Amino acid sequence: MARYSPTVVDHFTNPRNAGELEDPDVRAFIGNPVCGDQIMLTATVTDGTITEIRFRAHGCAASLATASVLTEAAQGLPITDLEQWDDAYVTSLLGGLGPDQRHVATLGRQVAHRLVRNHREGVDDEAPLVCS
Amino acid sequence: MLGCPEAAFRQADGDWQASVTEALRGAFAQHAEENAFYRAQCEAAGVRAEDFAALSDLVRIPLLPVRMFKQPDAHVLMTAPLTDVELEIRSTGTGGVPSVARRDTTTTSRVLTAIFAQYREFFGIGNGAGLFLCPSTAETPEMGMVKAFNVLNGLLDDHAYVVRDYAFDPEEALGRLDAWEDRMTRHIIGPPFLVGRLLRYLEMEDITLKLDPGSHVITLGGWKRYTGESISREEFNAKIEKYLGIPAANVRDMYGMIESNMLAMECEQHRKHVPPWSYISIRDVEDTDVELAPGKTGVIALLDALNTGYPGFILSEDVGEVDHTPCPCGRTGQTVSFRRRLQGAELGCCAVSIEKFIDSQEIVAECEVPQAAPAEG
Repeated sequence: MARYSPTVVDHFTNPRNAGELEDPDVRAFIGNPVCGDQIMLTATVTDGTITEIRFRAHGCAASLATASVLTEAAQGLPITDLEQWDDAYVTSLLGGLGPDQRHVATLGRQVAHRLVRNHREGVDDEAPLVCS
Repeated sequence: MLGCPEAAFRQADGDWQASVTEALRGAFAQHAEENAFYRAQCEAAGVRAEDFAALSDLVRIPLLPVRMFKQPDAHVLMTAPLTDVELEIRSTGTGGVPSVARRDTTTTSRVLTAIFAQYREFFGIGNGAGLFLCPSTAETPEMGMVKAFNVLNGLLDDHAYVVRDYAFDPEEALGRLDAWEDRMTRHIIGPPFLVGRLLRYLEMEDITLKLDPGSHVITLGGWKRYTGESISREEFNAKIEKYLGIPAANVRDMYGMIESNMLAMECEQHRKHVPPWSYISIRDVEDTDVELAPGKTGVIALLDALNTGYPGFILSEDVGEVDHTPCPCGRTGQTVSFRRRLQGAELGCCAVSIEKFIDSQEIVAECEVPQAAPAEG
């Protein structure tokens, strides 16, 4: 396998939905304090469906691609569907990950779950949370 | 040149000027042709490869501010496609946002060859044991400082990394040194703050060691801690001599940054030699288009001919100066001195990341409420 899947290459080189919504209904922010990978999602949710979503990300190419892939996959879905996502699903969205890149699947899964939880509980992330 | 450091570091001045100019002109031409983002900078500045005929022309090479490597859209910096990228090296400063430098296969081969050759040239190490006061590459595979130290590891017969899970145990370090005694020449490698911690422990415990005649202490990383406390080099050298028995001539610091392949290593005169495939241009703090003469203090710009993955022409946030006078060690070219970070720049380097995290762990440990002993019976 090449170091990066074609999907990772594509989303790193041509990121989708980059940026931050000005007045989002929900925001989720996850970061790893050691390696510095960070993903922040902002979304507009109408009748329980994600109608608009943006990301800001810092870190390795795979984590930037993860953020981009997540937004593309989440757009148009009922927000609660994201709670079903696990590391394997995020990995599949990315077209596979090398052994040294698998931490980004966890980062992606956690920020997606955080988005659901923050929306349900009406809370906001003001600072990056620690990715476990 | 990369594989022949003895000759490369001893070129006559005219030859050095011609070769570094030629190498950087070639690197510039590649990036200006193959990198749309950089080409736009070059067109805006009105410069072409033909403009760089002499060393004094290199000031016109457009520079990438180092903070661009922290931006989410840093992919625009790339000359090579991601499919050619082999290593992503990162550093996280006090701000928490990582700077990521992506090295393609060609750059990786070149820089590993260069660093390996420089270790041989400057430290003459080919055997012995290394006590690495840093995490292993297994624990932090993308940390630039650790990666650079790990190349040195390849020259040694044995090694131990004594920072694990971001905790440093000086007793374990001493145990390792003890186990190698009378078997191998012992070297200590790490960021200054961790060597400082080892020295502090020896001082507090009133332990003095006498390492071996060829032992070195090799450091890389910040001399100013993120807490703001500075480490004096003279005091550092004196304590190493007192507590480790290693003379100042064998205490060697290095200077580099993860965004550049330039790694300047100290000779026995404690001058950090810029490798002849790189050029350091000191810029006026008020106007970074203006190059200052050797000896003048300003912003450090690093021009690196090894980089094919992205333009290796970096305007750093470090302040220092270059010296172009002959070094008593016999090596030619430039030497560089780092003075401080630019005002307003965050403290950011691998050593700071490690220190910040070790300290946070220790604070957590200190604040933990001791668990009550289980009731007996």
